[in-house]
Amino acid sequence: MSTEMIDPAVQPPVGPDTTAERIPGKQLSKWTLYTRRFMRNKPAVAGIVIFVLMVIYSIVVPLLTPYKIDDQDFMNLSTGPSPEHWFGTNASGNDNWLQTAVGLQRSLMIAVTVSVGVTALSAIVGTAAAYFRGRVEQITLMIIHFLMVVPTFLILALVSNNAGGDWRVISLAMIFVSWFFPARVIWTLALSLREREYVDAARYMGVPGMRIVLRHLVPNIGSLLVINFTLGIVGAVGTETGLSFIGFGVKAPDVSLGSLIGYGAASVTSAPWLFYFPALALTLLTVSMALVADGLRDALDPTSAAGGRA
Amino acid sequence: MIVVATNVTYLLAWSFLDPRSNYVGRKPPLSPEQIENLLRPRNLDNTVPLVERWWTWLTGIVLRWDWGVSPTGGSVNEQVAYRMWVSAELVLGATIIMTLLGIWIGVYTASRQYKLGDRIWQGISIITMNINIIVAALAVVILAINFNKWVGTRVFFVTGSSSEGVTGFFPVIVDALQHLILPTIALVVIGYAQYHFLQRTLLLDNISADYVRTARAKGLTKQQAIRRHALRTSLIPVATQVAFSIPGIFTGAILTESIFAWQGMGRYFLTTINGNDVHGVVAVAAFGAVLTAIGALLADIAVVVLDPRVRVS
Repeated sequence: MSTEMIDPAVQPPVGPDTTAERIPGKQLSKWTLYTRRFMRNKPAVAGIVIFVLMVIYSIVVPLLTPYKIDDQDFMNLSTGPSPEHWFGTNASGNDNWLQTAVGLQRSLMIAVTVSVGVTALSAIVGTAAAYFRGRVEQITLMIIHFLMVVPTFLILALVSNNAGGDWRVISLAMIFVSWFFPARVIWTLALSLREREYVDAARYMGVPGMRIVLRHLVPNIGSLLVINFTLGIVGAVGTETGLSFIGFGVKAPDVSLGSLIGYGAASVTSAPWLFYFPALALTLLTVSMALVADGLRDALDPTSAAGGRA
Repeated sequence: MIVVATNVTYLLAWSFLDPRSNYVGRKPPLSPEQIENLLRPRNLDNTVPLVERWWTWLTGIVLRWDWGVSPTGGSVNEQVAYRMWVSAELVLGATIIMTLLGIWIGVYTASRQYKLGDRIWQGISIITMNINIIVAALAVVILAINFNKWVGTRVFFVTGSSSEGVTGFFPVIVDALQHLILPTIALVVIGYAQYHFLQRTLLLDNISADYVRTARAKGLTKQQAIRRHALRTSLIPVATQVAFSIPGIFTGAILTESIFAWQGMGRYFLTTINGNDVHGVVAVAAFGAVLTAIGALLADIAVVVLDPRVRVS
């Protein structure tokens, strides 16, 4: 370890750029490369287009529609799709087109909150456990293994039923019951990361432990975190829908895709449109996110063969 | 671990559920003493210290295998004893079918990598894997109702696990199948895809291994080499995966049971939470933990059967 390493102002010596010799032509930036590899996966592109359209639908429709979510149209009680009400109305005359948009918005908000929370928490806990070793690692793993046995769906149902349908509490509860599986996976990966030279170098430079974890370990599992985030959205939407469907999640007057599907399920023979449209929105949302995750995996994985050249 | 998890659930259940609130709003109103007199013999009175309640509950299970009573006085044991078979029928049947189907599709697609069959199954699986269980179950209900209308008789039943007043050996089996088939289809449709992808990936890793080439060189056909040599090694991780997915299938069964109106453990779970039935909730949690343990045990057995290097001591 030379003395140069101690002074952060001194740039490490840069060797001859060997990559430029291997790849003739222009050097691609990291993001161009990722984008190009992602765009090659056609289903993933379709997925992201569908996803963006759904987000626009969920944000724009509630703003532009002339009536509000709880407005009732007494001329159209439980009528099917019509030019006036594109997705039909429910038994109390609420417009299904608007309700689906608001429900989708609520489901997306929960899903994004949960996925951000789970990804961040699992990344920090997993890498910190691996980095600090010893007692910290043992205790963290013990907690993780214990949580794996506890019936999490039951805890979730208890907490969210108690919260009276507040989506923020539900999100927090969902983060609490879903962070430990990814944390376990990340811990396994970080076991090899913690042995790297740059971690040693940072430690000898006197960088505090938590900062090494955040600056050096977490960014190095970045691609995994991006994929975990997308898959986390799929999982969170599924869990939230299940909870709201059985009546333990989001409660009236708030709506989510789950509660809308639950409402539609009750009248599936008499007013099937109340089920079809929220169910379609849900399926499109999860399938598109899964396709995006698949494409991201191909684009970000340096060993992936699906990316083709470059 | 099951014991610890069950005890933690007991404490958690008490912090969220309050059996006393069942009696709020009764006409004529009950005095606190009357409520206490109702709840105390059932070990559900929250004026008694939690430690004491917990001790009574635990000794009841350890000494008499008595899981307590619900706030209305019904025995949890009776409920669980009946309902667990209803759920087991659904969960175990669906697990077996989805595992076999997933493995079969995985083998089929892996031996035809990047050909048309592989692509088609890949497309189908990625969609079915991401359909929500609720949507799948309700779609199955709608299809079955239309099918029944089209045929003119009731081929499939969309509610309940069995009909009243069916006697005789074969009528009972036929009746059970008529009820069982729809929820099983719903669970299998969303569950098989994970085994398909896992089996395909694992088999592709093994298919180019040296020992498979040796088997081919000995004169086995490609099918035989895959079945006898490559498949056996690549089944081991799948077996472990099955064990750990059983709690997830159970969660899926909660939703399917409530859609198909089965009186199983999933339904019981909803009733007990809504009815502030602490003992019932804990029994459901314990049942889930036991299912996980059984799954892990089965996985271990499967690994021993499949992997000749593992010796049972």
